[in-house]
Amino acid sequence: MQTAAAKKEPRLKLNKKRGDQLFSAALVLPTLLITTVFILVPVIDSVIKSFLDFRVRNIISGEPGQWNNFENYTRLFQGGKLLPAIGVTLAFVVGVVLAQFVLGMALALILNSNVKCARFIRSIMMMPWVVPTIISALIWMWIFQPQYGLLKYFVSVITGGAVNDFAILNNPDTALLGVAIAALWKQIPLTTLLLLSGLQNVPEDMLEAATIDGASRTKKFFAIVIPYMKSVISIVVSMAIIENFKQFPLIWTMTGGGPNGSTTTLAILSYREAFVSNNLGSGAAVTTIWMLLMIVVIFVYNRIFRKEDMD
Amino acid sequence: MKKLLAIALAALMSVSMVACGGGTSSSAPAASTASGSGSTAAAADGEKTVIKFANYALLENGYTEFWEGVKAGFEEKYPQYEIEWVTAPYGEIVNQVINQAGGGDKPDMIFGESSWIPTLQDAGLTIPVSEIFDQAYLDKFDPSVMDACKVNSEVYGLPMYSCTFMLYYNKDLFEQAGLDPNAPPTTYDEMLTMAEKLSTLTTADGNKVYPFGQTTASVAISGSAINSMVYNFGGTVLDENGQLATDNQGFKDAITMLQTLDEKGYNPQNAKLKDLRQLFATGQLAMYYDQSWGFNGVLSINPDAANFTASAKPLSGGEGNGAAMLQAHILAYMDNGEERKEGCRLLTEYLITEEVLKDYMTNITPAYPVIEDMKDMELNPVLEGATGATDNVINTPSIPMLNDLNLELCTLAQNVTVSDTDVDTAIEQFNSAAQAYVG
Repeated sequence: MQTAAAKKEPRLKLNKKRGDQLFSAALVLPTLLITTVFILVPVIDSVIKSFLDFRVRNIISGEPGQWNNFENYTRLFQGGKLLPAIGVTLAFVVGVVLAQFVLGMALALILNSNVKCARFIRSIMMMPWVVPTIISALIWMWIFQPQYGLLKYFVSVITGGAVNDFAILNNPDTALLGVAIAALWKQIPLTTLLLLSGLQNVPEDMLEAATIDGASRTKKFFAIVIPYMKSVISIVVSMAIIENFKQFPLIWTMTGGGPNGSTTTLAILSYREAFVSNNLGSGAAVTTIWMLLMIVVIFVYNRIFRKEDMD
Repeated sequence: MKKLLAIALAALMSVSMVACGGGTSSSAPAASTASGSGSTAAAADGEKTVIKFANYALLENGYTEFWEGVKAGFEEKYPQYEIEWVTAPYGEIVNQVINQAGGGDKPDMIFGESSWIPTLQDAGLTIPVSEIFDQAYLDKFDPSVMDACKVNSEVYGLPMYSCTFMLYYNKDLFEQAGLDPNAPPTTYDEMLTMAEKLSTLTTADGNKVYPFGQTTASVAISGSAINSMVYNFGGTVLDENGQLATDNQGFKDAITMLQTLDEKGYNPQNAKLKDLRQLFATGQLAMYYDQSWGFNGVLSINPDAANFTASAKPLSGGEGNGAAMLQAHILAYMDNGEERKEGCRLLTEYLITEEVLKDYMTNITPAYPVIEDMKDMELNPVLEGATGATDNVINTPSIPMLNDLNLELCTLAQNVTVSDTDVDTAIEQFNSAAQAYVG
């Protein structure tokens, strides 16, 4: 007489390595699908469209775009707007990322130095980061408003009425600075918080040993603190570069790319081509150039960072 | 067991992702078809046909009540129809419609401005109004306003009411400057003379009073306002074939006037229309150009503005006679089948009547009627000074990239003001940039 166990069908047996591989593949599958569907496919689609005459009417009618012999690219280079936009984008990214890192690190060091009410300050400090970007832009537009803005009022009071028409966003030489100030106000809190978490992971015993050896504060900062924070700094700066490279709502809301094109970044140019001119092919061409530029910048950044890695 | 659970969850997520991803291309048209046939089937069952109406004004101060009233009144009169709003802010409504239409869910109607028509037509988002209305009804509309809504000789948007860029001025500030509040300027030279006196004023809290406001910020409507100013001087931006035509004295005079106003500090730099409305409402701006319905924006900031505001015809300058650009609020239509087109027809014929629009045009949106049935309607009192302004108008030729051209006009204005470029060089740069958008 057979037992119940003996009656069961034999189970499909995998060796442990094979099973682990299948298990890992199953776990990676959702990420792969998400990356493919939402990142890879749109990027490839955008690059293809950048070579086509593809307008809004193509979307509405369902007609495919027509190959236009690189016209989107040639028109952009000949139109005289692309190169200034690249220049403005790089100036904005470099300026904001540098200022963001320096100011964020300064604030993190202050908060890490047992200052009174550090927890409270940390909580308050995060408020700009929580505010939606569009709202930030509107707040700063109001502050910078040249006729009835808060900044104009303060400048007027401080100068005793001598400067009554201070208008940072109206001057092509200062408009980008105005937008950068708004961007810094919004982004510094997160930078500070991340750098602060990095600072708190620097081993105390190393710092104490250096102190006993007579190292100055500056020496300890550059020889111990910074190297130990390398991974956090790398992430913070990468995030800042990407965030500011793709910065759109702040600039579009505050200046619309003006005055006189002085704040027209690649993001603004891409939007104008795609959604003001309704020329999606041309917008895709700007986006492709923008993406390539971003890849180059991140690649260079990673190379530089790797060279300086003490490990 | 844990492994099995993890795999099951991963599989579930993957399946969900695939389902989500497919939705954009395949299920959207299916949903649209279902919606369309649903409307028909619903009507056959005695249920309601939905009219999707894209309307930015629902989100703007002062307009919501009117449009909700239109919905309630229409649905009461025609219970077989239901209006469903599609809303987005003014600057985003066209993109909202494009995105929705691209997903296979076209709205039936759009409320917008006549300057949007070339873009909507080029995108394939509007149909000729002759596909909705019979000729007898269309013949009731002012032909010059209908001309402003034409692309290739076909009307693609039905005007609700019209106006020009006209002059609003502050009678109290005129009095304070020793000027006759009932004698606004009629020419740019007169305006400059008056501006000299007005520029000496300050507000009660010490703020500067700007004598004259002309919008030059980087938004398409500012470009339309600058184009209208060129017409004031007898100039042109485009010829009747839609080709660039800036080699004329009127164009140069208008741009030179913008520079003069800036050099004298008369015009708030790089201001949007909403900035000018804010300044005007708070007594910091003595006169400015706006569409007639911009006055609602002023009133929403300062309800007392009705007591000090008056209007005047656009100024004339140089060899020009003060002609201005015609503006209209329009209704544009899409083809979602005969039943919904019929709903659009009924809604339009209900809407553009004195009964529905009288209070709106008298108290909310000052504008001029465009349909024969409303020609004797009482106008908003603030328009009294500008009476006849719509008799001296010019229609801008329709080109698909009108928005881009308008933005280039803004850049030109900024070039001669905030960038201090000389007029000839700035015009040369404008011609070079604008060439890409015409022909």
